[in-house]
Amino acid sequence: MISNIGAILLIVSFVTTCFSLFLYIKNNIICKSAVYTKFFLFYKSSFYLILFSFFLLSISFATSDFSIISVYENSHTDKPLFYKISATWGNHEGSMLLFVLVISLYGILFFQNSKNINESLRACTIFFQSIIQLIFLSFLIFTSNPFDKIVPIPNQGLGLNPILQDPLLAIHPPFLYLGYVGFSLVFSLMLSAMILNQYNSSWASIAKKWVVLPWSFLSFGIGLGSFWAYYELGWGGYWFWDPVENASLMPWIASTALIHSIVVMEKMKKLFSWTAILTILTFVLSLFGTFLVRSGVLNSVHAFANDPERGVYILFIISIITMSSLVIYILKFPKKSESNDSFVLFSRDFSILLNNYFLIFILTVVIVGTIYPILLSVFTGETISVGPQYYNTILAPFIFIFLILMATGPLMKWNNNSLILMKQRIFLFFVVSIFFTFLISFYLNKYNFIFLLGVLCSVYLIVSVIYEVATYKKNFFVKQNFSRLFSHLGFGLLILAITLNHFFSREITAKMHLGESFFQQGIKINFLKSESNEENNYDELFGSYEVIKDNKTFILKPSIRKYKQPKQFTSETSIKNDGLSDVYIAMDYAGDPSTGIGVRFYYNYSVRLIWISFALITIGGIVSFVRRRNEKTI
Amino acid sequence: MKKQFEIYILIFITVIFFITFYYSLEANNKNNPNVMLYKTLPTIELTSFNNANLKQVLPIINEDKHYLINIWSSWCVPCRDEHQTLMKLKDKIKIYGINYKDKKSNAVSFLNELGNPFYFTGIDRDGSLAIEIGAYGIPETYVTNSKGLIVFKHVGPLNEKTYLKINEIIK
Amino acid sequence: MKKILFITLLALCVHTQFAQASAERELRIYKNIRCLVCQGQSLNDSNSDFAIDLKKVIKKKIINNQADREIYKYLTERYGDWVLLNPPLKKNTILLWVIPGIFVILGLVVIARRTHLSFKNKDKLRGL
Repeated sequence: MISNIGAILLIVSFVTTCFSLFLYIKNNIICKSAVYTKFFLFYKSSFYLILFSFFLLSISFATSDFSIISVYENSHTDKPLFYKISATWGNHEGSMLLFVLVISLYGILFFQNSKNINESLRACTIFFQSIIQLIFLSFLIFTSNPFDKIVPIPNQGLGLNPILQDPLLAIHPPFLYLGYVGFSLVFSLMLSAMILNQYNSSWASIAKKWVVLPWSFLSFGIGLGSFWAYYELGWGGYWFWDPVENASLMPWIASTALIHSIVVMEKMKKLFSWTAILTILTFVLSLFGTFLVRSGVLNSVHAFANDPERGVYILFIISIITMSSLVIYILKFPKKSESNDSFVLFSRDFSILLNNYFLIFILTVVIVGTIYPILLSVFTGETISVGPQYYNTILAPFIFIFLILMATGPLMKWNNNSLILMKQRIFLFFVVSIFFTFLISFYLNKYNFIFLLGVLCSVYLIVSVIYEVATYKKNFFVKQNFSRLFSHLGFGLLILAITLNHFFSREITAKMHLGESFFQQGIKINFLKSESNEENNYDELFGSYEVIKDNKTFILKPSIRKYKQPKQFTSETSIKNDGLSDVYIAMDYAGDPSTGIGVRFYYNYSVRLIWISFALITIGGIVSFVRRRNEKTI
Repeated sequence: MKKQFEIYILIFITVIFFITFYYSLEANNKNNPNVMLYKTLPTIELTSFNNANLKQVLPIINEDKHYLINIWSSWCVPCRDEHQTLMKLKDKIKIYGINYKDKKSNAVSFLNELGNPFYFTGIDRDGSLAIEIGAYGIPETYVTNSKGLIVFKHVGPLNEKTYLKINEIIK
Repeated sequence: MKKILFITLLALCVHTQFAQASAERELRIYKNIRCLVCQGQSLNDSNSDFAIDLKKVIKKKIINNQADREIYKYLTERYGDWVLLNPPLKKNTILLWVIPGIFVILGLVVIARRTHLSFKNKDKLRGL
């Protein structure tokens, strides 16, 4: 019953969207009136229909309505309620409904927050957003309908993968979608501005928040995913350059470049072309990421829904959207725009141009590393793997230079050769950074060249941010950009933390019997005792381990869980912090227990600083919404 | 004019993109089992299932026909599915079996129940022999020619398609 | 007596150093080999039966003093280049390095051609 209503709602939404598109076209071509009330009304209704449909699907999952295939395949009556609900988007069909909902949601958000923008731009943006909504609604209804039924109705579901039963992982997809799917709006906004000949610096003012909002969600979503992988997967790592991780990173990099580019477009009336291309690139990369993850071309821990047939549809959608938007760009890019492309060396705008160059280089490397194995197997049939070392090796030197640019750029003046002005400051930062770098390397007794370089460059950026904060004067208050300071500081701390983590983390693997001790690399581990526990859907075996490092003692209790439905083992980690670092243990469930239980110990140096950095970067984005009313610059 | 040209290039690139990734959907994103084709089978020594003193070295160089090597075990479900195919091949080609990480009693029951297609059955107690010849997922089947070269390698259970292919090869 | 003690101690130190270096080498190799039956994990990060077996085989080779290169050759002969997480430098992987290289140059060329750069200040506007 519910499933029928849900499915009908989707179809009605589809029809409503079609009708609203028809109204828009009628308004513009036939009636030529600029009154869009009916059009907006139909669009709003289509949103509410999708929202209600999503709500019904969640209810079906919450009540374990196994007449619906997706509920049957992804849930079980023994699942805790929270995970029953999160299973709604933990499968391909349900997540596509969420995808469509976010497209529609951004349309409505834009509608509510654009009342002071001229009607035609507003309507045209919603027009393009409706088209995108319609495309994905069709994909949803015709190939991935979450309300498809199964007959006869099974008594029990197939259960949910226990690894997905985790609070952070449950909320991870919604944040990612609010991120990369949200870029659809600025995409629509840009296309509409081009068609209406309103693509200019005022457009950039309007558009900026529609890039920063999804960017903030995406940053948070990626950080969340990384944090989850760290404490759940049990290998002490937080980023694996896994193709699915890269799929979310690619739009993030492109949108970061876009934010900077839009700022220049707004302030200096330059980079009109760059901004347009980046807008299209960001959205296309979001879609391409969706394709990679769902079509089965990737071999990864995260990959879900391996369905090549759906892959073809998504590929077709991407091709159409990319092609049409680029055609619009080619035909409708303002000929006599206010844009000029003259840059003064050592000016702020030139710095941003360089920044974009670096960001796009990083993007290229990530794209190449991710799709090269796919292309190679298509053209030669050979298969290779591209592991983390490739990315780390190529990107490290560029990121170091990039950090220096991030530090010096914001202090330069717009359109002015600021070199002479900056000389003293650059020198000052350098001196302070070298001082701190040697302090750190002396204290930690590490003189590796790459380590020194990494610390130097990240400290340099951090010093520049501190300098700016320390020297801001009250009457220049409105010109400060706290959001930039937060995000840049976050990025500097991130690279510093990653560098420290890379060089000072320790890893020990051992097999221990109850009561045994193990000593290596100055760390002693005692296997004290074991306890069992039984929960609703799993049996659990805990191990108590005592870890002694540098005269500090930690007691950790990792566990092995044996799930009942489906029958699966998982290893739960136990983590305690030692300052900003973590003492981390996980047990192995494979192997012959008579030879001892395998245990993996990690000392993750300054890993908490990594989480703090992610948070700061995200906060930078959020802050830009809070300060909007007061701020005048940047 | 310039704009038209740009649009044509754009359409061309998009089509290439679409076709390339369309083929990628079918392409293999996993291990390539062909890497060992037409290479010599690495040498391994099998100890007989029934008699610990009886050994067999593979590949056999002075064999004048093809022979088949099958890695199996009693706890492997797909091995049951393909056993029928092996029985069909029994009279057409000599089959050497490698019993992989198994308990002898279980393996014997398995063969008693489903039939024994093996000319010789060897034991791989710890999986190292399978790794030596480049296997990684049982069941796995090799066909070797008279010169000791691998002419066919299949990961997973044998089915109609692979049965026909093997027949083709041993003609 | 003291001599024997000293030599034993020295041997123990050297052995521990070797053991540590050998353990590091082992770890490094495991991190570089893909677990063939898992989805995208290295041997080091896998609990599967096959990974454990393969690690045993590799460990034997390390104890027999086989060089990294030989071990990788053994594995790629049987499983292809795909088994290495770090792509080897071969004809078919050279583009992995060349394409970013091309971009570095191409990017600079595009910037140089599409923008007018100058050293002089463009306008009187003081922006900060």
